[in-house]
Amino acid sequence: MAAKYENAVKKPGALSPRVKWLRDYYFQGTNRKWNNEYNAYTTGTPWDAQFDEMTYYIVPENYSFLSTFVQSFKQISEVVPVDDAFWKKSLAERKADFTKKCVVERLPVEILPGDLLCGARFNMMYSMCLTEKQQKERDKLIKEARKSMLFLFEHGYGNSGATSGHLIPNYKKIIDKGFKAEYEYLEKLYGDLSPADQNGSKGAQLRAMMTACTMPKELAEKYSAFCKAQAEKCKDPKRKEELLVMAANTAKVPWNPAENFYEAIQSLWLTHMLVMSDERYPGPGVSFGRIDQYLYPYYKKSVAEGMTEDFMKEILGCFWFHCNTAYDAMIRVGGNQGITAGFGQLLTLSGMGKNGEDMTNELTYLFLDVIDDMSPILEPKPNVRLHRGSPEKLLNKVVDMISTSQGAPFLLNFDERSMAGMMRESEYCGGLINQDNVCEYAPVGCLENTMVGNDRSGTVDNNLNLLKALELVYANGKDMEPYEDKMGGAPTKLTQDGPQTGELKDLDTWEKFFKAYQIQTAYIVRKMVDNYELSESIRAKFNPTPYLSTLVTGCAEKGIDVTQGGAEISFVTMEGVTFATTVDSLLAVKYLVYDQKECTLEELVKALRANWEGYEILQAKAQYRAPKYGRDDDAADAMAQLVMKNWADEVWKYKTKSTNRQFRPGMLSWNYWIGSSYILKASANGRKNPQFLSNAICPSNGADVNGPTSNSNSVGTALGGKSAHGDFGEYVNYLPNGASHTITFNTSLIRDPTHKEKFKSFLKGYIQNGGTALQINILDPDVLRDAQAHPQDYRHLLVRITGYNAYFVTVGKELQDEIIARESHKGY
Amino acid sequence: MPAKATRGIDVKVLDIQRMSTEDGPGLRTTVFVKGCPLRCAWCHNPESIPPRSHVEWLGVRCIGCRICEQTCPQKGIRLDTDGVHTSEQCEACGACTAACPTQALELKGTDYTVDALFDTVMKDRSYWGKDGGVTLSGGEITLQWQEALTLLTKLKEAGVNTAVDTCGLAKREVFEALLPVTDIFLYDLKLFDDAQHRRFTGQGNARIISNFEWLTAACEGTDTRIWVRTPIIPGATDTDDNIRGIATLVQDKTEKWELCAFNNLCRDKYDRLGKDWDFKEAGLISKARMEALTALAVSCGAPQAVWSGATARTDSET
Repeated sequence: MAAKYENAVKKPGALSPRVKWLRDYYFQGTNRKWNNEYNAYTTGTPWDAQFDEMTYYIVPENYSFLSTFVQSFKQISEVVPVDDAFWKKSLAERKADFTKKCVVERLPVEILPGDLLCGARFNMMYSMCLTEKQQKERDKLIKEARKSMLFLFEHGYGNSGATSGHLIPNYKKIIDKGFKAEYEYLEKLYGDLSPADQNGSKGAQLRAMMTACTMPKELAEKYSAFCKAQAEKCKDPKRKEELLVMAANTAKVPWNPAENFYEAIQSLWLTHMLVMSDERYPGPGVSFGRIDQYLYPYYKKSVAEGMTEDFMKEILGCFWFHCNTAYDAMIRVGGNQGITAGFGQLLTLSGMGKNGEDMTNELTYLFLDVIDDMSPILEPKPNVRLHRGSPEKLLNKVVDMISTSQGAPFLLNFDERSMAGMMRESEYCGGLINQDNVCEYAPVGCLENTMVGNDRSGTVDNNLNLLKALELVYANGKDMEPYEDKMGGAPTKLTQDGPQTGELKDLDTWEKFFKAYQIQTAYIVRKMVDNYELSESIRAKFNPTPYLSTLVTGCAEKGIDVTQGGAEISFVTMEGVTFATTVDSLLAVKYLVYDQKECTLEELVKALRANWEGYEILQAKAQYRAPKYGRDDDAADAMAQLVMKNWADEVWKYKTKSTNRQFRPGMLSWNYWIGSSYILKASANGRKNPQFLSNAICPSNGADVNGPTSNSNSVGTALGGKSAHGDFGEYVNYLPNGASHTITFNTSLIRDPTHKEKFKSFLKGYIQNGGTALQINILDPDVLRDAQAHPQDYRHLLVRITGYNAYFVTVGKELQDEIIARESHKGY
Repeated sequence: MPAKATRGIDVKVLDIQRMSTEDGPGLRTTVFVKGCPLRCAWCHNPESIPPRSHVEWLGVRCIGCRICEQTCPQKGIRLDTDGVHTSEQCEACGACTAACPTQALELKGTDYTVDALFDTVMKDRSYWGKDGGVTLSGGEITLQWQEALTLLTKLKEAGVNTAVDTCGLAKREVFEALLPVTDIFLYDLKLFDDAQHRRFTGQGNARIISNFEWLTAACEGTDTRIWVRTPIIPGATDTDDNIRGIATLVQDKTEKWELCAFNNLCRDKYDRLGKDWDFKEAGLISKARMEALTALAVSCGAPQAVWSGATARTDSET
């Protein structure tokens, strides 16, 4: 980095020596002697396998490596012998037994210098524990699931698969009562079963869960003994004392209730870390929920007992370190310490209470301080919940943190709009979500809203390219071109995959065209639902996670695993991808073909097939003259709302057959809007293949010509806006899972206290009018340089410096350079 | 002076800036209108000066399709080797700008009815908060004061905070009319010396000063706020004498006096308008100079003086 840019990158705050050491050590990456790389374990049978390729079905960049991963883990796995009795047990029990054996007997028990928390090396790949017959059956089914999944991806529908993680376990229960109480609860449930049920699958599931409850206890005991032994050897009296406290902590939690802040964090970490291993990804998107709420009693008690906030920050600094070691799983892959994708261990701060009151407390601010001190760092990912009653002090802190980082070191979640979406689920879960408890929601993964401790809603399991429906309309239910395998392979023929919605010449009115779009949308939704059933049913049959099931309310009560739909609230989510590209394409078709009659539908489709080459003027009209979503243009946003409601209604029509999970809609695009841009053809909004598609609920790149407020208003309108009969108060939200929204701001907007105050005003407006979640980026010089290189994507980037305003891309190169230099210095 | 019936009379709007942070307190929506009685030599937004609409060409967007030439009913536009130019025949009818496939042609100046303008600005009401609101700016808003009065009245009825950004050159009656419906006046005092004012802006400053004195007196003891703005332009307004002189007018009578440092970032706009600009080569003012001028203003009895804007980087900063 050039010296002059140094101040443009946020630096960590004042960390204690131990936390600084751990943080620095973490960033040494592959140079570390210690890491948390995968350890794999096998029962030793010749057919055994560890890696579940379905966990990567929603990660297209890994498709080429699926078989490699399966074979690699087989090769590196260490045999953990099992006896004959093992094979007579149910699969759930085998899984619980084997997992426990690996964790208690094989997990290396170590403590890093100065570390205050026990529990690491959790990236484990366990045997699937299948019999030969089961493994063969599974392999056969997997073959079919993979084929179906690849068809979906290669033909532009998107991707789908039963994915691990993405939920908030009931950590509060363990911290407050310990696994001991859970064990006793399971024991009672088991005792209440009829002998027939005890001998059946319910009994087996409960026995497996009881075994799982004892796993953290026995691991913690090993840590306790280790700490004690280390303490005896330790020459430094201060460290000796610390090790003795750690020994006492792990002798107690998570089996027993925690009684102070330190014990609560230790209990939380060990419990969480074993969830990460239980699903072997390690479980992505396993989130902590409203951590400043359920830890608050422990915080207050410890403060009263004399624990200093500085010490709490040290404990949390260690907690941060441990969370980040999740990335070590594939530390040698990629150039950035194995950080190829987020693990999304979210922690939620603040938010409203049952009566609309604000729930911010001292612990909220303590967490925010730690985030500020530790960032830039990826995990855990904070979400701050804002609402109409959020206090000024919190908003000030949020804006301050945004202004000193390159954008927000957290995601903002907006309560009213989010809760409106969650309320849509109420009728589908027997009222388990209602006006009184909906405020307890929290996001998982990136920003996907769920309830806490009793909810698994497969928040990223299905990712549907809405734009595919239009391609099917253009080609009367077929692909626009035969699929071609770029790595070789036989040529394919076009087949009638979707319904025939008419020849182009017959779609002679807008109404007919839109009807065809709706029919194809219904088809692509169903297609994805059918595909999902394959992986979902395989997971339900072969991949029980009894440990995780102990932490999800509903599993014990129903006597079924969380992978079999055990959670009390058990939805599965379909995420809409390419939303704005689809809306803008519909708007362009309407404008060009039916309203302005600039061309016929046949001509337009010809232009799309030619990737707009030779049709530059028509393309320009599609890009610049046709209306667009994201400008607070009432007519265009009405189309956005119509598209939103239409596809969401389709999604609500389905449930999984194998696990009875209701589908629900959301809008997150992860990186698919980039990857799919190579697969989906040119679109009617003027986009060429492979220009990027639109991201989540954001307007198309460069379409939001009227700035952030109009962009936000459009997003709120697309989600349903407000109405006298809202889902929560006057707020309407068609997407219970939430919708990802990103806005980039100019650094000058938050340059001084007066401007920070103005920015706060924007956030308050967003609470009123915007969406469910907002990622804020602060414009950096790299973006401006990108704007120089690709002016077409930044047509409306406004540069404003006291009294002067102009479009960045319209000023000369020399002036652009000057502005970039200024941005880097924040010099005005 | 009573407002004329404004039904059917449109406001000639240059631009509406939403989420504006630089036109008064809080987050605001700023309406820039066309037409200005001054001809400041340093003007940063020269496209706002002519009262009529005009067509502007943004070369970076142009694909050279010549649809503009084919569309123009007056034959008043042509594509040359150095870009698209309008001629005397151009009536700014908007035919070419509506037809241009890439929006390389923009019609500067759009007619809004007061009601439409009101509805448009109100879309951002949720973002204004307790400090923000709507600012009417220019050009010079007082040239369209009757429409402004109607709009401001509607905004006040809706409980919106209103600001008027003015150069001060209008009849006294205009300010008398606007006073009851304006919460903040953003008032420009550029040059104290009348001859200099005439030289650099094309008009003397007697009326501007007299209106200012009337306005400060009228606002005294009321909730109406005044923010004075003085552009600090090298070789024109950046002298100690000028600041001393303006300080005698401002004293401590206003809530804020902002010295706005010059920048030359708008020189492309002059190129696009095909005009030369005296300040093309003028550099940025140093931070030290801005601080000195501000200190001078404070020492002359205006403690509310502050400065803003881009300044030249010194070696120690780079």
